[in-house]
Amino acid sequence: MSAHDRSAQQLARQLFKLTVVDGTVSPERVTGVLEFVEKTRPANPVMVLRAYRRLVAAELGRGQAVVEHAGAVTKAMLEQIAAALTQKYHRPVTATARANPALLGGLRVHIGDDVYESSLANQLATLAASL
Amino acid sequence: MSTALEQIEQQIAKLSSKAIKKNTGTIRTIADGVAKIDGLSDVMYNEMVQFPGGAIGIALNLEEDEVGCVILGDVAQLKEGDEVTTTGKLLSVPVGKALLGRAVDALGQPIDGKGPIDSKETYPVERIAPGIIVRKSVTQPLFTGIMAIDSMIPIGRGQRELIIGDRGTGKTTITVDTIINQAKINKVGLASGDPKFRPVYSIYVAIGQKNSNVVRTMSALEAAGALEYTVIVAATAADNPANQYIAPYSGAAMGEWFMENGMDALIVYDDLSKHAVAYRQISLILKRPSGREAYPGDVFYLHSRLLERAARLDGKGSLTALPIIETLAGDVSAYIPTNVISITDGQIFLETDLFNQGIRPAVSVGLSVSRVGSAAQIKATKQVGGKLKGELAQFRELAAFAQFGSDLDAKTKSQLDRGSRIVELFKQPAFSPIPIELQVATLWAMQKGYYDGLDLKKVTAAAAALREFLASRNDALLTKIRTKAALDADLEGELKAALETWKATFSA
Repeated sequence: MSAHDRSAQQLARQLFKLTVVDGTVSPERVTGVLEFVEKTRPANPVMVLRAYRRLVAAELGRGQAVVEHAGAVTKAMLEQIAAALTQKYHRPVTATARANPALLGGLRVHIGDDVYESSLANQLATLAASL
Repeated sequence: MSTALEQIEQQIAKLSSKAIKKNTGTIRTIADGVAKIDGLSDVMYNEMVQFPGGAIGIALNLEEDEVGCVILGDVAQLKEGDEVTTTGKLLSVPVGKALLGRAVDALGQPIDGKGPIDSKETYPVERIAPGIIVRKSVTQPLFTGIMAIDSMIPIGRGQRELIIGDRGTGKTTITVDTIINQAKINKVGLASGDPKFRPVYSIYVAIGQKNSNVVRTMSALEAAGALEYTVIVAATAADNPANQYIAPYSGAAMGEWFMENGMDALIVYDDLSKHAVAYRQISLILKRPSGREAYPGDVFYLHSRLLERAARLDGKGSLTALPIIETLAGDVSAYIPTNVISITDGQIFLETDLFNQGIRPAVSVGLSVSRVGSAAQIKATKQVGGKLKGELAQFRELAAFAQFGSDLDAKTKSQLDRGSRIVELFKQPAFSPIPIELQVATLWAMQKGYYDGLDLKKVTAAAAALREFLASRNDALLTKIRTKAALDADLEGELKAALETWKATFSA
């Protein structure tokens, strides 16, 4: 990693720290950071913003669960999942549904880096691998 | 025990309909067998991670917002954005006797086309070396079958003896000879039915070698009937650096199984110079800070943690290591050679000049040393070869001075003559290890002056003829030397009688 890359990463991390208020990403702070970058023009601003975007996306991902489903998912189910994850991760979590017929049945929940797999497709894949 | 638990857990996992939690990440960049991954927040150092398409990786760099992984296997199918999953497991390889006679890759998968390996157990590739409490000092010999080594630089079970020299000086040949000799001893020992006999199983790890060289070594072992006691772990020059980096550790894990289960094993790392180069490549791509000769700061630990795994365990077996280092223009003071010299319990230095003069194996007696010394020698070898190293060293010194003048006193002339005869006696063709009892007889004959009247050029042939004579006509005497492991008056008497008969029949 070149010195330029390193300093861009470092600045992005500093800006990200300023963006998080009470454990969540503050939209006002994001606007402030973007204005700051626009105004001060640090070396390699594109790299800084890309690194910053990655950090913000990862942080937002930790508070947002994506529920992939093959069958029907009710609003109550989504609320139940969101409540369970809020309790588990000790932070407010919202859940959004995304249809994925490839799962054949069941659910797959993505939150941050974690994936909770309870789909028929996965069980079949596990069975196939064990044969 | 652990295998049984794993089987039960696998069965539970198969039947369970509960949600499975996985920790994932995505490939941000991938180059030269190294991937930088976003995510994988739960990954552990050295943990195995699963890439799409069956490739696996090892997490080597855990940074604040990315993970650096080396990929073992085919990287051609991987691309930016692919999902990577943690496995919660350390990299493990199959171990056990099922591997004997097989050639496997760095992950323990067969590459010899002889079908799958029926191995019940696995061992982690990276393990902490045995501590000081469980170790025992090295006292049991491990015969290489090379007279110059067994008599002057003895190797013991559990020792680490470095074999160092320039390219083409016969480093691999020495190790192949040693493996062949173990197989010969195993066959004799197992046939004798002696309950105290402990066979030595061998593991040959080829790192960054040409595929043709590995095939040649395999053929030599097969021709000598040694392959059935040997495991070949190959990460050749065509394999990616991650496989070359992991191969010696995989081999060590296979050797540890024998050691832990009360057996003796020998492991050859051919060679650690290429291993260091592979690790340097990985480290540079991982952007780790580089030091001397661009090697990373932990290159010493790379080899020390590997070689420390060779040991003799109290109440269990042993693992003897023969690492190989290739020098450039005989420079033993380069970075990697000095590192490995300081880690091992001695070194066998091979010289290009000696090799070119036809002195093969080209062992430089002056620069070679075994720190275990005579503790790993049988009494018979000590009796016949105890003073050889000193005599040869004296010979080299005198020979250097004798070049400058021709007027030499009788004593010097006799020392020079004796020295040249010893040098001739130690010449030995490749892949022909000599059993220890025949070595003792050959050296005893030297000690008693049986080769003195011969023309210098005929000493090697005479010694070979003597061994042939003893092997074909005096098997009982040789068995006695082997079992007693010491020369008493009776044995010396018998040996003298046999040698007199040989002398009468031998025509130079």
